[in-house]
Amino acid sequence: MVPLIVLKDVIRDYNGKVRALDRVSLEICPGEWVAVMGASGSGKTTLLNMIAALDQPSSGLLLVDGIDLVSLTEEDRARFRREKVGLIFQQFHLVPYLTALENVMLAQYFHSMADSDEAAQALGLVGLEDRAAHLPSELSGGEQQRVCIARALINEPKIILADEPTGNLDAKNEDVVMGIFQDLHRAGHTLLFVTHDPHIGGQADRIIELNHGRLLPATSHAEGEPPVRALRDIA
Amino acid sequence: MLGRLLLKSLWRQKSRTLLVLLSVGTAATLISAFLSIAFTITERMAQEMRSFGANIILVPKAEPLEVEIAGLKYVAPEEAAYLDEPDLAKIKTIFWRHNIVSFAPFLSRVVQFQGRPVLLVGTWFEREISIPEGKRLFSFAGGSKREVATAKGTFRAGVRSLAPWWQVEGRWLREGEEGILLGSAVARALKVGVGSSIPLSYEGKLALVPVKGIVRTGGSEEDQILADLEFTQKLFSLPGKVDKIQVSALATPDNALAIRANRIKPAKLSPQDYETWYCTPYLGSIIYQLEEALPNAKGKAIRQVSEAEGAFLAKMRLTLVLIAAVALFVASLAVMATMVAAIFERRQEIGLMKALGAERSQVGFLFLLEGSVSGLLGGLLGYGAGMALARFLLARTFSMAGAGVALPLEWVILPCTLLLAVSVALLGAFFPVREAMRLDPVRTLRGIG
Ligand SMILES: Nc1ncnc2c1ncn2[C@@H]1O[C@H](COP(=O)(O)OP(=O)(O)OP(=O)(O)O)[C@@H](O)[C@H]1O
Ligand SMILES: [Mg+2]
Repeated sequence: MVPLIVLKDVIRDYNGKVRALDRVSLEICPGEWVAVMGASGSGKTTLLNMIAALDQPSSGLLLVDGIDLVSLTEEDRARFRREKVGLIFQQFHLVPYLTALENVMLAQYFHSMADSDEAAQALGLVGLEDRAAHLPSELSGGEQQRVCIARALINEPKIILADEPTGNLDAKNEDVVMGIFQDLHRAGHTLLFVTHDPHIGGQADRIIELNHGRLLPATSHAEGEPPVRALRDIA
Repeated sequence: MLGRLLLKSLWRQKSRTLLVLLSVGTAATLISAFLSIAFTITERMAQEMRSFGANIILVPKAEPLEVEIAGLKYVAPEEAAYLDEPDLAKIKTIFWRHNIVSFAPFLSRVVQFQGRPVLLVGTWFEREISIPEGKRLFSFAGGSKREVATAKGTFRAGVRSLAPWWQVEGRWLREGEEGILLGSAVARALKVGVGSSIPLSYEGKLALVPVKGIVRTGGSEEDQILADLEFTQKLFSLPGKVDKIQVSALATPDNALAIRANRIKPAKLSPQDYETWYCTPYLGSIIYQLEEALPNAKGKAIRQVSEAEGAFLAKMRLTLVLIAAVALFVASLAVMATMVAAIFERRQEIGLMKALGAERSQVGFLFLLEGSVSGLLGGLLGYGAGMALARFLLARTFSMAGAGVALPLEWVILPCTLLLAVSVALLGAFFPVREAMRLDPVRTLRGIG
């Protein structure tokens, strides 16, 4: 299968001193669910930002969906972001004065056209149809994260990038959110998410681990077929 | 979505939005008030040039002896000199006869109504006069001649064409009719309405006259009683006499020659200048020709007030422009300060928008739009306040009727004010918004931007 994401010897230096990513080479296939693990400061967020075209490698090759991200202009990178990726943050980053529905519509607005029916549907997918008119401050952390997921999904991106999506959630909400990720995975989405929790990472097809910006060799929790994939095959 | 985004974000930053509204509003107030005053004065002067209303007054050369008792002027009749009513038609025979728009004679005396003094003014309301055959050829020193087309037929004179804005409740008086029109203030004070008859006494004579209407003129006539000229001539025993003629004439603004002619006697101009002056419709030369036609009369231009206003405005213009410019500058500084704070506070939101795929231009557009909307609102508020300020200033400084004054060209002032207000807001927003467009989403989302 042609990999959707290809990194080859990607280096990211900050101010010529801190090396956040050190010759990272990685391939991720369409539909794959990859968990990124590693100690704090090991470069996980940096890696995600690279794939989201938010950040650029200092050197190396970076191809996503056949697009060479290194050579893109700022405008093209903005377009890449709105068309190809859905971002989910640990801090949610919802606009505080917009309702749940409007926060989802904001992503639609920058992508093409805001459509409240579609946005309401996306909230329905994450079980928040009756919270559409609430402000973020009126929602629990888990609900806010689900709004964030709905927002990431609304433009039907090829890749979903989540930076510690459960980092701020309690166990119950964590389960809800992970359930959504499993559904997304089952529906064929390509998922890349950062986590510190081995239990959560274990639900992915594959775990990659960073250490001081370097990718540890062949880290994966499961041999052969990942458990979720196997489940899907049975179904 | 854009609308919601805009309104909600403006609403969320209420105090900030208010500050922008206030600063832009203040500037807009000054701008619109200034524009409005400038327009009003110019308009008024232009109106007078177009002779909207009388611009010349003719009175007898021999001043009547006036005795003032209790604030009202009484004229000793035997001492007074008068103009003759039949001479009025000669006004249409002067060189600039075609520039005479209208005229009306007046004859007034203080009469008593229930023991109170009130001015009774006789005039023509609407009078068709046949134009007398006037001189066709005017010869000047050096033998040059000028020909004037004779005016033929009839001419409509009277206050209704002289002051077309007068309004009557009831009806106008007919020629020779024995009735009166009450000025609206008199009607209010006397509590008399249309249809009733009131007794007027003058030097032992008593007349019971029916009230045919109530007039609103916006001027001193509202404190007077108006009647047909013939009626007052009979009552005052002055047949065929008038004591004042108001004339409305189309005149060209004065130039150096006209000013010189006004200073020295026209006869002292060089023959060439005299001819040029005589054959140009300056207010001065028209008055001169009227005095030629009515040898008993002395003409006066009634324009001094607006000229004083004009001079005052010219002096004030620079001051006003400076004040307005400073207000605009300060307003854009205030907008800038507010915007800098707003964008600093909202940098995470900006980072998020960029992470969601917003382009620089979209981010910039959003904030500039916010700026323009608050600028527009500030402009609207300022426009309202400015119009009120203009009315107040016009009433105080230029002694124009208070709130009733109709400000002209408001449809020009509104867009001008709004345009300036939005420009000020955009100017103030420019640099902060440029910073916003440059924000790096990675850094802002990490909270280190
Ligand atoms: N703007 C920056 N300037 C300088 N150094 C930076 C910058 N951003 C990140 N770094 C450094 O790059 C390294 C990788 O950071 P990154 O945020 O990717 O780590 P992380 O694995 O996501 O950590 P965490 O689990 O704490 O989120 C860290 O050492 C960090 O200090
Ligand atoms: Mg991180």
